[in-house]
Order: sequence, then structure tokens, then C-alpha cells
Amino acid sequence: MWTDEDTVEVRIDGDRNVALLTVLRDDPDLSFWYLADAAAVDYGLGDHFEVVYHLYSDRHPAWLRVRANVSRNDPRIPTITSLWEGANFHEREMYDMMGIVFDGNRDLRRIYMSPDYRSFPQRRDFLLPDDAADSSAAGVNPLERPETWDLTRDSERLADGSA
Amino acid sequence: MTAEPKVIDPLDVERAEEARLRTAAGLSPIGRAGGEYAGFESVGLPDRPPQTEREREVYTLAEGEMLVNMGPQHPSTHGVMRLVLKVRGEVVIDIDPVLGYLHRGIEKLCENATYTTVMTYVDPMDYLSSMHNEHAPAIAFEKLYGVQAPKRAEYIRALVVELNRVFSHGLMMGFLSLDMGGLTPILYGFINRDEVVDMLSAISGQRMLFNFFRVGGVNFDANDEFFSRLGTWRSGVLKTIDMNERILTDNEIFRGRTIGMGVLSGKDAISLGVSGPNLRASGVAFDVRKAHPYSIYPELEFEVITQSGGDVYSRYIQRIAELKQSIHLIDQIVDRMPHGPVQAQVPGIIRPKPGRAYAAVESPRGLYSVYAISDGGPNPYRFRMRDPSFISLQAIPKLMPGHLIADTMAVMASFDPVMGGVDK
Repeated sequence: MWTDEDTVEVRIDGDRNVALLTVLRDDPDLSFWYLADAAAVDYGLGDHFEVVYHLYSDRHPAWLRVRANVSRNDPRIPTITSLWEGANFHEREMYDMMGIVFDGNRDLRRIYMSPDYRSFPQRRDFLLPDDAADSSAAGVNPLERPETWDLTRDSERLADGSA
Repeated sequence: MTAEPKVIDPLDVERAEEARLRTAAGLSPIGRAGGEYAGFESVGLPDRPPQTEREREVYTLAEGEMLVNMGPQHPSTHGVMRLVLKVRGEVVIDIDPVLGYLHRGIEKLCENATYTTVMTYVDPMDYLSSMHNEHAPAIAFEKLYGVQAPKRAEYIRALVVELNRVFSHGLMMGFLSLDMGGLTPILYGFINRDEVVDMLSAISGQRMLFNFFRVGGVNFDANDEFFSRLGTWRSGVLKTIDMNERILTDNEIFRGRTIGMGVLSGKDAISLGVSGPNLRASGVAFDVRKAHPYSIYPELEFEVITQSGGDVYSRYIQRIAELKQSIHLIDQIVDRMPHGPVQAQVPGIIRPKPGRAYAAVESPRGLYSVYAISDGGPNPYRFRMRDPSFISLQAIPKLMPGHLIADTMAVMASFDPVMGGVDK
């Protein structure tokens, strides 16, 4: 069971995140003291990134969702590790998967992929192996070219006398 | 409830002893200042410059310090994970967890799957709480699609997630003692797990990756075999737990090693994003089942349990208390379970209206949440999962400095991380 009104949404510019979240956390009437989630969303080429924070407060019956806009050409946003230390792993994951740089985070390195990896796998323009058939290198391996496969069975060859 | 014994910092003892020996041998006192960047060759990796300030800090060694790899195949890291320990003798100075050995890109897989098939991908995440993994996306997708599961489906959902919590917490007792050298409790833990898993396989058809939840309901109705197994298990379960408790809770050695070790204050726990039983063991009463009630939890009677200690022992006691609480919840759910359908009318391929939904559940390891965005297509545009053990791991480097290497395992086991969830 769920109710429709269980999330309140706020949209801000990326560089305002620390100021807003500080108020949300420290104002006694708001007191959103728990950072439930921090995630990045990519809206595709020519659009923008979003860093989405979900906050919890015992004074309000709803989750608070803060959506911070980040430019796709210059994906930088201030870190919130000064407010919640635990945001560090969230930010490392967002950097690893989306390539968003968190200014001021002193441990911003890849967390899942190896340190010499160079791509950002959760961006919308990342090519999955399944999509590689559409790439310029498609068909380099003859085993991957079905039109060259000989599928006649030995029994069939015996029957028409070609073996 | 736990006594606060005086804990001697082994690091101080070590330093005092070293200073005494050096004076006796006529050597100059040990230099603390400076330290040199050691590089990655000492942990068996190709050398490279440090990428961040923190990395330089970990890999800079003062005199007498060295780096040791624990993992990725270490039996006590609860999966495939590597801890880089900076040690001075037996004492841990700093820890750098290195993750990603089990990374499967489940979020990306789910973004390329239909809403129904997402349920199969989230199962092997946190493999000790598969039911919880499915619960959060089920709620999120129902919000997106605007459908409510029937009452009986909600009761069955609550029943299976509580059963899942029972066996997960039962195993944690075993793993904690296993990491400290006690072999017996894990066997009792697995006996309990096997009975529960047989029950869940009777209802879902599978033993580990249940694939039981559907958008708008559950896959199967509860059958006779399930209820008869539930009855047999329920009549004996408190006895098994008591047996485990007698081995551990009052055990002098266990208490001596766990009380006062790895103390995490409530303030630090909140700041680090620690959730679930680990947060409540530090005295913070935050339980998603009460804070943001979902499913049928508003109808059930239970209180949020907390401990005051914040040490390994409190986290252990907290698990046992929640285990017993779950059993009482199961009693209530079975008593009140209504009749009716278990699946709402939902098409095979779901195309929700564009929108976004956030759903959080209380998994055995803490706040497990899903943030899903729909663009109107048959698969989620963005599917984000917040795994509690991933975030809780950050507490380990915070807690361990000053403890012995052997205690690292005990403190880690007390947080009960599952690497399948950590690495997604």
C-alpha cells in the first residue's frame, strides 16, 4: 500500500545545493536530518544531468526530494560531504557511473570500475555490448556473421550424396 | 544496558612498549612526522600516482607502518572485497575499502529490462534479503503505474519479508561468531535458515532468488504446504534462537571481545548514513516501517527497538531483539490475513505514464530504496537502488583505527554487509 502524497519535490540549480541542504538539515522546523539517497540522472545528449537527494525528517510525513540541475557540458556540483560524511560513497558512485565531478570532495575516485577505466557506463550515450552490432566494428569476427554459417547437418549431406 | 568498561588503546600500549625498547637499546625515539608515499606496489598493483588527497593519505607510510591487503578472497570479508589495511604491528592505523569486484551493473541492466523482468535482476543484489530487494521496486512501480496490490497480496508480502528478515538476522549471529572463531552458532543459523527457505520455496518455487513479487501483487497465493511448514517452524524457532543465545549472549569470551569494541555514536552513524539495526544499536530510533509506513505495517503493533551502546555487542543484541519482534509480527500477520485475490489486473508489459517514484523499505541491513523514472516506455528510464550495506561500509574506516587486525573482522561482521548488495 502506498499513498500518492508521500514525496515533496524541490528543484534547484546545482551550485545552490549546499546552502539549501544546510538550511533543510539545521532549521529546527524542517530538521531533515537523514540523507536517505543521493542519485544522479542523465537526461541524454543535449540535455542536463540531475543530482537527486532524498531526505527524511520526523516532523514531516513525506520524503523530500531535492533535484539539482547540473550542466552536461561542465558537470560540476559542490560536494555535500561537509553536511553528511556518508555522502562520500554516493558521490564516488555518481562520479564513477555518470562522470559528475563533486567540487571539494577529497576522495573522488572510481568506486566500482578500475582506476584506469575511462568511460562512464550509466550515461545514456554509453554503448552496451548488445548495441555493438550497430557500431562501425560490427562483423569483424566471422563467427558473428550469421550469413556465413553452414548449418547443414551431416545426415542431410549423406542423404543428398554430397559427403 | 551495556556496561562501559575502560578500553585501553592498543596503539598507545604498542607505542609505549616501542619507546621503552628503543630507550633500552640506546636508539633515538621514533620519528612520527613526515612519512613517505609508498605507492601501489606494496599491495601488489601496478604503481601509479595517487588520484585523490585521501588516497595519498592512506598510501603514505610513517616509520614502522606497512600496508596489508585483506581480500579480495579473504573468507571474512563476506564476499569479494579488498580492505587495504595500514598497520603498525598488529594495530590498524587506517583502512581503505576497495570495492567493485562483484559489480554487475544491475542498475543499467534494469534500465534495459521491462518493469516485470526487473524483479529477476534485483534478486541477486543483496542475496540474503531477496524479498526486500523485490519489495521496494514493486512499490515504486505500483506508484508509477497507479495500481494498488490487493489486501491479501500485501499480507503475503509482509509475511515473506519478515520471514526473510528472520533468517538474515539468524545468519548474522552465526557469521559474527564465525569471524571471531566460534563455529557452532552458524550451524544453528543455517538450520533455521533452511527451514525458512523451504517455506519460501513452497510459496515461491525457489530457494534463494525468489522472484516472487509482481507489480500489483505476488506470483502465487500462500498454499497449504507453506502454512504447515510455517506452523512447524514457528513451534520450534524460539528454542533454536535461545540455543544460539545461550552460546553467545552470556558467553564470557564473546562479551569480553564485543562489549566496548567498535563504538559508533548516534551522531556519527547519522552523518555516515548508517541505517537499520546498526543505526538503532547506536540509539537512533529510525525504522522505515514506522517512519514512512508502507505495505500493511500501519496495521501491525510493534515498537522501534533501540540500544544505547553502539558497539559490536549492541548491534548483535539489536539483531536478536528484531528477530524476536519479526516473529511476533509474523504471528499478527498470519492471524489477520484476509482472503481474496493476490494479483491486481496488470498487463504483461507495463507502460506507466511519465513520472518518478521513490520507495523505501526496511531491509535486514537498513534503508533499501528505489528511485524509478518512467518516460512512458516499457522499461524504466532510470532505476536507482540505494543499498544499505554499501553506505554502512563507510563506518569501518571510521571505527577501526586503534583496533587490532583480528577485531576488524568482528566489527565488519557486526555491520553485516553483503557484497552482492555493496557492489550491485
